[in-house]
Amino acid sequence: MAADPVVLTEDLKKYFSSRKGVVKAVDGVDLSVMPGEIFGFLGPNGAGKTTTLRMLTTLIPPDAGRALVAGFDVRKEPDKVRRNIGYVGQSGGSDLPATGRENLVLQGRLYGMSKADTKARAAELIDLLDLAGFADRVAYTYSGGQRRRLDVAIGLMNRPQVLFLDEPTTGLDPQNRANLWAQINKLRSEGATIFITTHYLDEADALCDRLAIMDEGKIVDEGTPDELKKEVSHDCITISVERHEENEAALLDKLRHEDFVLEAGVEDGHVRLCVGDLATGLPRLMRMLDEQGFVLETVKLVEATLDDVFLQKTGYSLRDLTPEG
Amino acid sequence: MKLFVDIGLLFKRKMLETLRNPVFIIISMSTPIVYLVLFAPLLNHLTGIPGVTPGHVLNAFIPGLLVIVAFLSGLFVGYTMIDEVKNGVLERMRVTPTSRFSLLAGRVLRDLVNMTVVVVFFVIIAIPFGFDLNVPGFLVELVLLAMILITTSSFGNALGVILGDEDKLSPIVQGINLPVILLSGMLLPMELAPKWLQVIAHLNPAYYVVEAGRQLQAGNILSAKVAYAFMFMVPLTVIVMVWATRTFQRSVS
Repeated sequence: MAADPVVLTEDLKKYFSSRKGVVKAVDGVDLSVMPGEIFGFLGPNGAGKTTTLRMLTTLIPPDAGRALVAGFDVRKEPDKVRRNIGYVGQSGGSDLPATGRENLVLQGRLYGMSKADTKARAAELIDLLDLAGFADRVAYTYSGGQRRRLDVAIGLMNRPQVLFLDEPTTGLDPQNRANLWAQINKLRSEGATIFITTHYLDEADALCDRLAIMDEGKIVDEGTPDELKKEVSHDCITISVERHEENEAALLDKLRHEDFVLEAGVEDGHVRLCVGDLATGLPRLMRMLDEQGFVLETVKLVEATLDDVFLQKTGYSLRDLTPEG
Repeated sequence: MKLFVDIGLLFKRKMLETLRNPVFIIISMSTPIVYLVLFAPLLNHLTGIPGVTPGHVLNAFIPGLLVIVAFLSGLFVGYTMIDEVKNGVLERMRVTPTSRFSLLAGRVLRDLVNMTVVVVFFVIIAIPFGFDLNVPGFLVELVLLAMILITTSSFGNALGVILGDEDKLSPIVQGINLPVILLSGMLLPMELAPKWLQVIAHLNPAYYVVEAGRQLQAGNILSAKVAYAFMFMVPLTVIVMVWATRTFQRSVS
């Protein structure tokens, strides 16, 4: 028996009018999320990820198209959608003057759960997300990572069919990000369905079973991270030259001015560059290095990353757009 | 019924917040004392001026001060609303099946309790200063004050949701605060004002409540001024509440 998708959209659209004219924030999105999978929405800020999520969670109505969440139309039966989803927005949602446990209990009660059930579920989530050490302190005193885990626990309180996480690790330090990833993976092993948006490539790669890459309101590609990487038709290599540190900046500059180089950047003390085709690109690279007086020390073929997929589909690199990440 | 359960839950949440931060209660309780100690003595020689009912001067001025307390208890609540918008609390609750009205009502109810505590405290400590509390009149007055509070608290909360930024909220609430207080006759009776100022005051709902309050304090529950106050406040309260609930409903981008 094939299961029905938990989230299904058809030609979903949301336009905003601004002073500059109409902004097509979401411009015809078709997607489906199956039970038990972690589905990721990858794209830069402003791609329309959050707007899509806000339509799916009934916060804003779509302008056109259809969206079914947990089997209910977001426009016609928002109340039934709400009963079946969990949502953790970008800014969290924990009520800071209240304790973690109070936050959980209130959430359960607002969903109409009984007092006993609410209490038991709160205890379960405090255990699952490792909140026990601080669950009875007011949330003002929490660290960023602790607060984020509480946010996620609140989103899970009503045992949702699908949990929406909007940029869950933005603003967290690397240690807390790793911790939250571990928690999300734990939820996956419990069978949760999670819809996550992110502009972090490593996050999409590490967490998602399936991804949609979004740019300018449209989905430009979709598949498992491995499938997507296999589609990359260009080749990437890392090189290092003699006296690398002092030459690196000049080398990068030269590379970026060559038309056969699609992208160039620094990665772990090497220069990483992508060319359309290695067979023609490599000789040209060698010639250029020679002419400019760089002496090559190492050269290595590297596997495609999700950023390469992004580059191929949109013509620009996601990494360049998110310096804060 | 789920609506009442939800309002109760959301009221309890805000009430706990108040009780955990007693500084706010202490500050609001101290306001009446400050008025009685630092302002009331100025009034002792004002008997016999127009608009001041016979008897102790406090009988004319306490009703005005009560309106100030009710007005200010609600007007500035937008600031905490903005905190909750920024922390995503409102958005999180908008995704639950709770009604948008209960999101507003739970908050307003907490403000109403706070205001009632301060107002009752105010009239009781005013008695030793010479105030003759008229209990039936005061009970009717409490209904009027509750409507002022519901109006200002709903308005303040909705404004917080719409603006989402303290820097934008401040000029608006401050800009409303002063003219409404000055044109209500809360501090001095509007009978002292020139004609043009009295005309403007008649557009101010708070003016009618202050006027009604003085009648109620004198025991004239059936006074026309009391009826006027209800005629203004009932529709105003309903309109502002409906508008505020709609604001809670609409998207916050």
